Amino acid sequence: MERSQTVTQKFSSFSSSSSSTSGRDDKPREIDRSRSLGPVKLEKSYGKKERDTETVTIEEDEEEGQEEEEVEVVVVVNKEEEASSAPEEPPEASFGSISEEVDGFLSFLLSIDDGRDQWPEPPAMPEPTIKKFLDFVEEELVKYESGKDGAPPPANDELVLFDAIDRVAKLTSALSIFSSDTKYNKAMTRASSILRYAMCFLEDEFHSLLEDSKPKKDTGTARPKTKRRPSIGHLHDAIDRCVPPPSEPDLAEFPSTYTPEIIERLSGIAGAVVSAGYATECCQVFTISRRNAFDVALSNLGYEKLGVDDVQKMPWDSLETKIATWNKVFRQTVEVAFPREHDLCEAVFAGHSAIAYSIFHNFARGVTVLLLGFAEAVATTKRSAEKLFKVLDMYETLRDMVPRIDALLRTTESEPDDSSAAHDLTTEVALVRSRLGEAVVAIFCDLETSIKTDMGKNAVPGGAVHPLTRYVMNYLKYACEYKNTMEQVFRDHKNSENPSSQVEDAAKGGSDDNHNPFAIQLMEAMELLHTNLESKSKLYRDPALCSIFLMNNGRYVMQKIKGATEIHQLLGDTWSRKRSSDLRQYHKNYQRETWSKVLACFKDDGLQARGHVAKPVLKERLKSFNSMFEEIHKAQSSWVVSDEQLQSELRVSVSAVIVPAYRSFLGRFSQYLDPGKKSGKYIKFGPEELENYIDELFSGNPSSMVSRKRT
Amino acid sequence: MPTMDYQGSSLPFASIGRSILSIRRDQVHTVHAGRHHDPAALDLDLEALQKRVADLFLDLSSSDDDLLSLAWVRKLLDGFLVCQEEFRGILFGCSQGRRVNLSRPPLDRLLSDYFDRAVKALDVCNAVRDGIDQLRRWRRHLEIALAALSGGGRTLGEGQLRRARKALTELAILMIDEKEAGGGSVLTLRNRSFGRAGKEPPHHRRAGSGGAAVSSSGHHRSLSWSVSRSWSAARQLQAIGNNLTPPRGNEVTATNGLAVPVFTMSSVLFFVMWALVAAIPCQDRGLQTHFWVPRNFSWAASITSLHDRIFEESKRKERKSSCGMLKEIHHMEKCIRHLTELLDPVDFPWTEGKETELRQGVEELAEVCNTMKDGLEQLERQVREVFLRTVRSRTEGLDCLSKSHHPE
Repeated sequence: MERSQTVTQKFSSFSSSSSSTSGRDDKPREIDRSRSLGPVKLEKSYGKKERDTETVTIEEDEEEGQEEEEVEVVVVVNKEEEASSAPEEPPEASFGSISEEVDGFLSFLLSIDDGRDQWPEPPAMPEPTIKKFLDFVEEELVKYESGKDGAPPPANDELVLFDAIDRVAKLTSALSIFSSDTKYNKAMTRASSILRYAMCFLEDEFHSLLEDSKPKKDTGTARPKTKRRPSIGHLHDAIDRCVPPPSEPDLAEFPSTYTPEIIERLSGIAGAVVSAGYATECCQVFTISRRNAFDVALSNLGYEKLGVDDVQKMPWDSLETKIATWNKVFRQTVEVAFPREHDLCEAVFAGHSAIAYSIFHNFARGVTVLLLGFAEAVATTKRSAEKLFKVLDMYETLRDMVPRIDALLRTTESEPDDSSAAHDLTTEVALVRSRLGEAVVAIFCDLETSIKTDMGKNAVPGGAVHPLTRYVMNYLKYACEYKNTMEQVFRDHKNSENPSSQVEDAAKGGSDDNHNPFAIQLMEAMELLHTNLESKSKLYRDPALCSIFLMNNGRYVMQKIKGATEIHQLLGDTWSRKRSSDLRQYHKNYQRETWSKVLACFKDDGLQARGHVAKPVLKERLKSFNSMFEEIHKAQSSWVVSDEQLQSELRVSVSAVIVPAYRSFLGRFSQYLDPGKKSGKYIKFGPEELENYIDELFSGNPSSMVSRKRT
Repeated sequence: MPTMDYQGSSLPFASIGRSILSIRRDQVHTVHAGRHHDPAALDLDLEALQKRVADLFLDLSSSDDDLLSLAWVRKLLDGFLVCQEEFRGILFGCSQGRRVNLSRPPLDRLLSDYFDRAVKALDVCNAVRDGIDQLRRWRRHLEIALAALSGGGRTLGEGQLRRARKALTELAILMIDEKEAGGGSVLTLRNRSFGRAGKEPPHHRRAGSGGAAVSSSGHHRSLSWSVSRSWSAARQLQAIGNNLTPPRGNEVTATNGLAVPVFTMSSVLFFVMWALVAAIPCQDRGLQTHFWVPRNFSWAASITSLHDRIFEESKRKERKSSCGMLKEIHHMEKCIRHLTELLDPVDFPWTEGKETELRQGVEELAEVCNTMKDGLEQLERQVREVFLRTVRSRTEGLDCLSKSHHPE
């Protein structure tokens, strides 16, 4: 018991150190260890004569296959103790000593490989030892395999077996040096058969470990949390943390990794198989199993694989849901599944960083390409305004995930050949991202087309805010919530087809914005809206109403911009000042159009001739004021100014002009009217009454003061 | 240690990106803008396209033994890309020069039909890309066999021979499965392959090397496809070819002749997609579609003869059982069959003569392997390029259409 623990400990300490430092740092130490071992073994079997050559050979061997050597060295040390303790072993020839002899012979064969020509006759082969060794391995394999259906074998048994298999692999290859010799050939054939047998068996074992030992899906009661060791806990953290709300894709659906025990066994098998030269089979099994698991998880997540054609035909509201799912799935794939898979590769192929890297890269690439297909399909759909925000979401997902993918692919120390691999994958993502970016630009620029082509012939009643203004402003406000992304998209993807005239037009708003294509585009849209509204205002026959319409819409625009700092920043203060002065101008125009005629009634000119007040003229003036005011009241109380502030500003400004003028007019001339009932005929409104009536303007309620007066 | 080449499937995407981006629109503009004010120039362009298509298919139909080889398919795709580029130039020229109003009936309908076909072709491209991935996975088995059989010049042990045989037998089974998948009902197969791997007790599995292969080929069965499980290449091809009729005389006149290149490109697009499905494994293959081009097109004879030849070939017995008609797949199958027979364990150990035969078999295997290695990567890149350029030309085309709808 105690011994088996030593083996496990040593093994695991070795594997954990190599996985964390990607194996390279350990190399010198490993070589030292094996070098010190080599001569000892040799002295036993072949004497001091060959010692020098031997040491050199081992060094060379080290350079070719460090990984193989690493595993061997550690276990060889333990083998002797281990095997000698096994009760069923005949005491006269322990497996440990046989292995040692085989090792000695192996080293000897390798040492003479280069100078084979000097050996016309193959060197004597320790046939009985080799036979015993192979017999033993075969027996162990059968034993191991037949016991496999029950509980997993103790870890140390497996290590002994893997070590033996490794020795068989080396023996097979070393024996083939002299395979023209019958004896050698026979031994080699036997060794290679056993090796292949072992490899088939390990492949099956590896496969069923991968397929069958996944933690069972959580049924809500028992979580195998407790069994997990804290040391490898980071692999599982993501699973444990996840308690997804029902509507969210379930993270636990992503292929989870395995318990540390299983990972250790997988890693052991992978090590043995790789060092025996059967890496391709092993990688293939691993790659396909993990990818299948991922695809099953995807479909459990409700992620549907949709063709480009399907996406084109899909109604927007369904597609919108799919896009939302895609965003989540893509982010979680990169944030959860990729790191998990990365760690698994590193753990299973510990010490074989190139293999681990290529398997992970292959996985990441396959999955990314699969998921990008949908984004590509969406970018291909017919462009329309409502898609802007969803497409932006996808764009942001890709933008945010690229650095993470990149980081994962770069953390592993890779072969020089692989350095471009990460680059290729991120380029592929960038390509799709730029397609989405182009779609965003096109959709946003389409807004201009829809503004330009909105040419309704019906004026909005009462000069109220036009639906186009509301639509455009809300759209822009929403778009500007993506301000940073929009700016980035426009900088990166606004292509050269933009004619320079547009830029010049837009640049009127402020020269600082020249280098911000999105701001220019936004300005352009605002200008177009402005132009469109001006032409819409011409639909009103009454120039005063025309001003009210412009004022209403202008006010709405200003209020929206005030409420959204992003748009405000983009358009700039100059623009706002310009717009405010426009608004003031509309106000003036309104005052002039509506009230200058009214004020004309209060003029002194023409009333007094040679110091006398002309009564008929006075009466005429008052009559015409009364009817004018009644008419204005009747018309303008049905006009709509829904912005309360603007409404009160307008009323106040009208009162401020009219009421004092009226008051002073009455003060100057009412004395000339006959007192009594007749004056009431001409002076219909008291100044306070006038103010009240003015306060009824722009309320959108047509009210006749005549009818009210009667009641 | 065998060389670990797991990067096989990674492509230099960067190069695609660059080549796409380098074909700037303005290049097309400078060539064509303004020219189409001149009706003669438009006619010249239309003629040039006809000639280009005719040359392409004449060239493709000229050699018999090359048909559906990787090199042939690549030539087809290259040619297609060139034609598409010219067509794109013509459309762009028209929309810029305002010589022809693209949005006037019946041209608008013809164009939007063409772009619909193009979208459908994108799905074929994706499915074919999967198929190429599949082929690449298969090539790994060949590599295993090759590595086992090459043995660094030393005599091969029985184990290595069995290893090679196992890899080849597994591959043969995968290919048969794929054929069942490709030809038959899509759903049944995928489900079947799910539960199959590794449930029986292991010692039963290795009764003979053949037995081991049967069970462990399940280890290598990939379930991942980018298309949905109900997707069918045959149906997609039918959708692309649907209503593909030559333009009538009045249509040609009403469109200033543009109905002709639209029909031409639609036919070429259909044929290219059809040939890809014929060559490459993909879900629910089926070549039975209606395809007819009137004789008065200069390319009609060669394209029709190619179509007929491929279709006839697909009905031949040996090809019928194949998962793709790519010549290299055929070659691969032959190679596998030959080597598997040679490697029958009953015959171990071997005679001298057999060793020689094996050496030849291995050489052949190496050749297939090499052709596939470079060829598949290039093919995948091209298919991707076809995808991207089709998307681009469609986007531009639809832009042109909508711009002509809303003249500024």
